[in-house]
Amino acid sequence: MITLSHFIVLGAVLFCIAVAGLFINRKNVIVLLMAIELMLLAVNMNFVAFSRFLGDVSGQVFVFFILTVAAAESAIGLAILVLLFRNRSTINIAEIDSMKG
Amino acid sequence: MIDPNLFQLICFYAFGVVTVGAALAVITLKNSVHAVLALVLTFFSTACIWLLAEAEFLAIALIVVYVGAVMVLFLFVVMMLDIKQEQVREGFIRYLPVGIVVALVMLVEMLALIGVRAMQAIPMGANPAAAAGMSNTAWLGTALYTQYLLPFEIAALILTVGVVAAVALTLRQRADRRHESASQQVRVNARDRVRIVKMAAEQPARTTAQPQQPGDQEAKP
Amino acid sequence: MPNFNDILVLLPEFYLVAAACLLLLLDAFMKPEQRGLLHWLSIAVLLVAVYLVVAGQPDGTATAFNGMFVRDRVAEILKVFALLCTVLVFVYARPYLADRKLFVGEFYTLAIFAVIGIMLLVSAGNLVTVYLGLELLTLSSYALVALNRDSPLSSEAAIKYFVLGALASGMLLYGMSMVYGATGTLSLAQLHGAAAHSAMPNLLLFGLIFMIIGIGFKLGVAPFHMWIPDVYQGAPTAVTVFIGSAPKLAAFGMAYRLLESGLGDLAQHWQLMLAVLAVLSLAIGNLVAIVQSNLKRLLAYSTISHMGYLLLGLVNAGPEGYAAAMFYAISYALMSTAAFGVILALARAGFECEEIDDFKGLNQRSPWMAFLMLLAMFSLAGVPPLFGFFAKLLVLQAAIDANMLWLAIVGAVFAIIGLYYYLRVVKVMYFDKPQDGVRLEVQQDVSLRWMLSLNALLLLVLGLCWGPLLGWCRAAFGLVSA
Repeated sequence: MITLSHFIVLGAVLFCIAVAGLFINRKNVIVLLMAIELMLLAVNMNFVAFSRFLGDVSGQVFVFFILTVAAAESAIGLAILVLLFRNRSTINIAEIDSMKG
Repeated sequence: MIDPNLFQLICFYAFGVVTVGAALAVITLKNSVHAVLALVLTFFSTACIWLLAEAEFLAIALIVVYVGAVMVLFLFVVMMLDIKQEQVREGFIRYLPVGIVVALVMLVEMLALIGVRAMQAIPMGANPAAAAGMSNTAWLGTALYTQYLLPFEIAALILTVGVVAAVALTLRQRADRRHESASQQVRVNARDRVRIVKMAAEQPARTTAQPQQPGDQEAKP
Repeated sequence: MPNFNDILVLLPEFYLVAAACLLLLLDAFMKPEQRGLLHWLSIAVLLVAVYLVVAGQPDGTATAFNGMFVRDRVAEILKVFALLCTVLVFVYARPYLADRKLFVGEFYTLAIFAVIGIMLLVSAGNLVTVYLGLELLTLSSYALVALNRDSPLSSEAAIKYFVLGALASGMLLYGMSMVYGATGTLSLAQLHGAAAHSAMPNLLLFGLIFMIIGIGFKLGVAPFHMWIPDVYQGAPTAVTVFIGSAPKLAAFGMAYRLLESGLGDLAQHWQLMLAVLAVLSLAIGNLVAIVQSNLKRLLAYSTISHMGYLLLGLVNAGPEGYAAAMFYAISYALMSTAAFGVILALARAGFECEEIDDFKGLNQRSPWMAFLMLLAMFSLAGVPPLFGFFAKLLVLQAAIDANMLWLAIVGAVFAIIGLYYYLRVVKVMYFDKPQDGVRLEVQQDVSLRWMLSLNALLLLVLGLCWGPLLGWCRAAFGLVSA
């Protein structure tokens, strides 16, 4: 029988994978963006599960908004990425260090 | 006959394993295109898990919005940019142990502290939407258009900002590019295209063909 | 169901949305030569919004749209100052943008959208509204930072801002999901009652930690400050002045809504976390600022330390402390617009005027500008009798009242250390010889000169008679000013 803990553990695992992804892919911006998408997925998993188990609709409504915002966010993020690539011909974060201090 | 609860659990584990495996693939695969595809798989199996939680609308929205639009956008960008694989992989091995340790410690701490044990006692009750006599979509929609009307409008505003920002950042109108104006082409008259000019007939000039230009000579009848 | 009254409560916001959309359309049909009109229209739009916020002041608190939106004095004061700061930003930015071919309608519309985000955020009555208002603000800010499309520096700053900002949103949301799970509600008002007797206190605390991380990122306090220096330096100065002013008010508003309106019952837990963040920000901000040679970067580190001071007010977790923190946020917003305003006034096409060395001998070239910069620097440093001094005094007092004398002492010590790098800028302006080959000329724009003078002199005036402003801040939190 599925319990609340199943969903929450799965959410936590996804969240930790996302954090690990941010750690090990410090250079590739695209993978960083994807790790952030994974993080949002973990959040959504939590909200869906809590909403279902609490019998409360607001958690699922929140997920709806997160999906909407994430779509707008990735549009802007990818636009910035395209700009960056046009200006620097790289998406390697390590090479992007003109500013120091 | 298999117990429906057990069947649900088996489904959950099957999709859960796929989700976690695909998520691991996202952060470890060398090829960015493969990583995007792994992310698609993650979303897809997550959607299946949400179906098990009877959140049908969000499961479909995840596939339609995320896989259908956002991930395709990612794929576009990944393929448009010419990324050198080796370059972006530098440091991957160096940070790998740190990443694994951080993630594992975090996971163990979180699971130990947030009270997963207590949650195991909470079973999945009756579907709240069905209890209210509605489908999941109607349940969600009723809340969305009454109680959450203001956030709904703000979300529309955010999408507008997304459009404005994406256009402001990436639309280029280069001065040196020649482009056609469709509206001008449509509005054109026959008179603009062909101009009939009356002029006196001219005799072909009697210049002798230059020997250096054989092409000229050939053109003459 | 929402009714007409709900719309009246939100009138300033609705008006601003409609005006922003009209400006967007107007820009699309306008010839580039007519952009000046758009500039003045945008300023007029914001001033009308200020009027609507002030004029529609209800006596008490009004909520609208099922508690999604709360209109109270705190929100109103923050909104008025956020709008006024944006007016200043528009006035200061114009010559800079025009010199760099950045004088485009998108700057104005995106900034107005960001202000709408600020207004919704400080009025949020629900976690959903907090999140959406915040995203409206940050998404517009990402685009503004990247607005200079041909500058590698600016797109670098934008991508760093974006990745860390999205990460912060993820953290904040994860925290919100746990808080929701532990209490079963997203409404801040209901959360206030439910948080004390949650069935899953550990889950709630975990949620609180993640939310504090998210708030820390957005405020830009150490150790979540990594994006601030790069964004301040890399963004066009006209955008930096915006990011450094109005959004700081929003960050205070967000922290207040989430921590006090929502999780006020957990104050004993978050007080200590905020105290740690405050000490780290004070230390990192003030110490790293000393070695900076770029003025924008220096001001970025100064922001980090100022956000640390703002936390001292929040740590108090009582109305006095919130009033002090709000007073501090307002004073910081005005000081930072003045400081960046001087940089904008001296920048010209092809000359950013952002290195400290560029300011050498400013007093000989333009004594008035040097004096205005002196006011801004002294106020940021907290030299009496300027605005910043009194604001610092208030937050230190708030920390002492919260039985955290050690925290107040740390704050005072770092204020003295911070004095050094602000004074360095003043010394360079007054006692160094002008550099060869640097043309220090002030922009001819009349509105810029007048507004900048007004802004900097206001720091002096408010430093001398802070009474009314402090009275408003205190009254907003239910304190009758003595």
